[in-house]
Amino acid sequence: MTGVPVFGRSGDRDRPAVTRIGGGGLGGKAAGLYLIQEEVIPRIDADATLGFSIGVPPMVVLGTDVFDRFMADNRLWTLIASEPPDDRVALAFQRAEMPVEFVGDLRALAESMTTPLAVRSSSRLEDDLDHPFAGVYATKMVPNNAFSPDERFRSLVEAIKFVWASTFFASARSAVAAAGKAPRDEKMAVILQEVVGQRAGNRFYPCVSGVGRTYNFYPSGAAKPSDGVVNLALGLGRTIVDGGRSWGFSPALPKAPPPFNSVGELLKNTQIRFWAVNMGPAEVPDPLRETEYLIGAGLAEAEADGALRFLVSTYDAGSDRLDPGLGRHGPRALTFAPLVASRLIPFTDLMRQMLEASRQVLDQDVEIEFAVRLDRRHGLPADVGFLQVRPMRVVTEGIEVGEDLLDDPAAVIASTHVLGNGVEDGIRDVVFLDPDHFDPETTFDVAAELEGINRRLVAQDRPYILIGFGRWGTSDVRLGIPVTWGQISGAKVIVEATLPEVNTDLSQGSHFFHNVLGFRILYLSVEHDGPRPIDWAWLRSRPRVPGTERVIHCRTEQPLVVRVDGRNMRGVILR
Amino acid sequence: MTDPTFNPFLGAQSQFDRIADLMGLDQSARELLRRPIHEHHFAIPIRMDDRQVRIFDGYRVVHNDARGPAWGGVRFHPQETPDTLRALAMWMTWKTAIVDIPLGGSMGGVVCDPHDLSRWEQEALCRAWVRRLARDLGPERDVVAPDIMTHGRHMIWMLDEFEAVHGGHRPGAITGKPVYAGGSQGRTEAAGYGLVYTLREALKELSLAPDRAVASVQGFGAVGRHAIDLLIRIGGTVRSVACLDRNTKTPATLIRQGGVDLEELQGFADSFGSVDCEKARTAGYDIKDGEAWLAEPVDIVIPAALENQINEGNVQAVAPSVKLIVEGANGPTSESAEATLKDRGVTVVPDLLANAGGVLCSYFEQIQAASNHYWTLAEVMSRLDHQLTSAFFEVGELSRTKGLTLRDAALVVGIDRVVSVSTDRGWV
Repeated sequence: MTGVPVFGRSGDRDRPAVTRIGGGGLGGKAAGLYLIQEEVIPRIDADATLGFSIGVPPMVVLGTDVFDRFMADNRLWTLIASEPPDDRVALAFQRAEMPVEFVGDLRALAESMTTPLAVRSSSRLEDDLDHPFAGVYATKMVPNNAFSPDERFRSLVEAIKFVWASTFFASARSAVAAAGKAPRDEKMAVILQEVVGQRAGNRFYPCVSGVGRTYNFYPSGAAKPSDGVVNLALGLGRTIVDGGRSWGFSPALPKAPPPFNSVGELLKNTQIRFWAVNMGPAEVPDPLRETEYLIGAGLAEAEADGALRFLVSTYDAGSDRLDPGLGRHGPRALTFAPLVASRLIPFTDLMRQMLEASRQVLDQDVEIEFAVRLDRRHGLPADVGFLQVRPMRVVTEGIEVGEDLLDDPAAVIASTHVLGNGVEDGIRDVVFLDPDHFDPETTFDVAAELEGINRRLVAQDRPYILIGFGRWGTSDVRLGIPVTWGQISGAKVIVEATLPEVNTDLSQGSHFFHNVLGFRILYLSVEHDGPRPIDWAWLRSRPRVPGTERVIHCRTEQPLVVRVDGRNMRGVILR
Repeated sequence: MTDPTFNPFLGAQSQFDRIADLMGLDQSARELLRRPIHEHHFAIPIRMDDRQVRIFDGYRVVHNDARGPAWGGVRFHPQETPDTLRALAMWMTWKTAIVDIPLGGSMGGVVCDPHDLSRWEQEALCRAWVRRLARDLGPERDVVAPDIMTHGRHMIWMLDEFEAVHGGHRPGAITGKPVYAGGSQGRTEAAGYGLVYTLREALKELSLAPDRAVASVQGFGAVGRHAIDLLIRIGGTVRSVACLDRNTKTPATLIRQGGVDLEELQGFADSFGSVDCEKARTAGYDIKDGEAWLAEPVDIVIPAALENQINEGNVQAVAPSVKLIVEGANGPTSESAEATLKDRGVTVVPDLLANAGGVLCSYFEQIQAASNHYWTLAEVMSRLDHQLTSAFFEVGELSRTKGLTLRDAALVVGIDRVVSVSTDRGWV
């Protein structure tokens, strides 16, 4: 907590952007935000980003001491030891009392602020380079717009308790166990931060949210990995970090053509729904639900809100092409072209500046998160909320996989689309979904079944290879398997395969992606119609371990050998 | 522990006169506010367990109810006097005004020592006291709360008697009830916790971090215990506690250099705050006389027992290291002692602010009773903290800008509010 000023109740207007309530640690996320405030932002060239006002949205950090006191006062460690189900944990935390020494400050905060707040986890283990926990814990948005400060205080406290409770949800417990830690090793600070955005009717959201990386694992066209990549979405950043559809581009080559074969394919694969904070009455009041105060909406609503002027292209059926902007009637596609390709709005310069400044301060490749509030009519002036910076593991040396090895008869899986770098030669357990019986409508059930198998294998200390379809970790059930990180935390090798009905790209911006890198998991992607399909017949013929209805678990007679060469983008699993 | 020659009412009047001069109050306001608006003195015959009848003296004093129904505690104490109650009722008027809640000030009591009374005798006393006053009590007239040597169970008996007299349920008539009987979460803790909320703000002004602050506390009743509890929670150390020795019934001071262990100490205490000093000694506490707490070389002194505990006679004993005195009891520092402390640069957070947590929580209890709705402990404490801290800021600001002590600034704030309403009502 060194350096972070204490939250003061008087002089709200003069309050520093980052303050704290309670002592102890700040947690990884809050420490990152403080670093942004103190060191990254001062490095950004204001002249190159004219019209943009960049800052960390005002926030207060509840230190880990508050969490410790809450746990001790309410004897919650006893409950946690019995590993109860998530709803029991959430309920027990809601019923527990906040420590009396901190509630006055929280009330003062609720009294003085009436804009939406993001209640974000900031754990000790989160954003550790070796054990990243991105997206493992909850973030809860609260509209914080009730007339009565009592109601605002109550919602705020409920959200804080929910985030604390998420520390001990089953998926989080699994992730902690997979990192070789015990539940008591984790300490949870909580960030209470203003949400960047604008209100339109009952929706509050930023025009643009985004994730940027200084290293691009999948550069396309003339782009180089070191050019980095930025993924953008309309509305709250939940769309990107949970693996929904977003728009990716290289800040070095913002005008490069998108990686789609046709306009039709582009229209099919760009974002059509977005998340916003619900400023109206909650549809179903439920303090035990992370999305209690969120609502989804479509592009038509965003257009009516006036939010799309700088974000979309419009399809012209006559010429079968997309024209930037809203100039004509026709289907809208979220290409962000008016913003990214604008000569008047230095958006790509802003992206480059933010990424480079962050990389300089952390002295390694980084991932950043941000949200932008654009002037809806003119684009500028715009406010940029810098929401996160975290180190990014890029390992490209050591292992070499030649082209010829991909065609080795012993190869069960071969890929030219990999992440990571390394060898695993002791794994005998393979957990996979049967391509002949895969039903995209049941992906939630699949996630739950995987969680049970994962828990068993983690307890037995048996790392495994996981093979599934679509985008792992997405919140959009149509795009893949909506697992949380903790539900598959024991996997050492993850294979993403496509099927004709599930055919999507890996999301570079997602928390899931960050964890894949951070935990040094070897990742291979295989297309169903590519030259080297998965040898399903061999996998199916291996001895079975009792699995579940939709998930097959087999154990090979001999350990499999997994070799992944991230530099040359080749990987193979050999029997 | 009380000096029999000290007359707190004269002290309260003299204090009021001084502030009235400072504010330039007119004569009618002075005459109205320097005395109670009405008083009850009555005899309470009680048939004791041995079938003998014993007569107790009972009192209720209402100082002022211009801002709302009077509110005040009821004390069971063998040294109770009408003048003590008059002073306490007056201070309660100022206190409710300082924390800006719509209540006036009152105080009541019975001259008795509940240690010497059985449960049945105490119940009979509570019921008889209420019967005598029933017409003048109630949520619209005068609200009762626990004070010295009275607690939740006494309040239930009083409420039951009040409702028996009036019929129906009137939970707002008596506050300080246990939670299970319509009381508020946090009522027991409110006065002690509230004291620490103001102490915390005072420490900020002194640039003294709580985790480096060491305190000496007089009193181990509800206020003292909960003040110790929260002070330790925010990082402070309590080195000594003065209380009544349960064995000898004389005051004693328990000292442990590294800080007292509250839970352990509570194990040696009864519900009135008397401690078995022999057990404490066995547990490693140094036991000194009842005055020793004042001379401890600490940063903070918290008198949380009775009035006039720091006076002309013992103020010189206050250790040179003391920077802050936070009054948990009502009127524990005499005017002359405070003048001496001021000269030494010691900040005194007055009772009117520091121990207002109890009345605030009682007010919260009334609101909850009126709406038939319960707040969580966090809701109660957040309001308590917020309201007391806001009051501290307001008083502190006036103190700085006008060069007043915190007590005088608090009195100016409180008296001004009472005078304003009294004027608007046409009383003065």
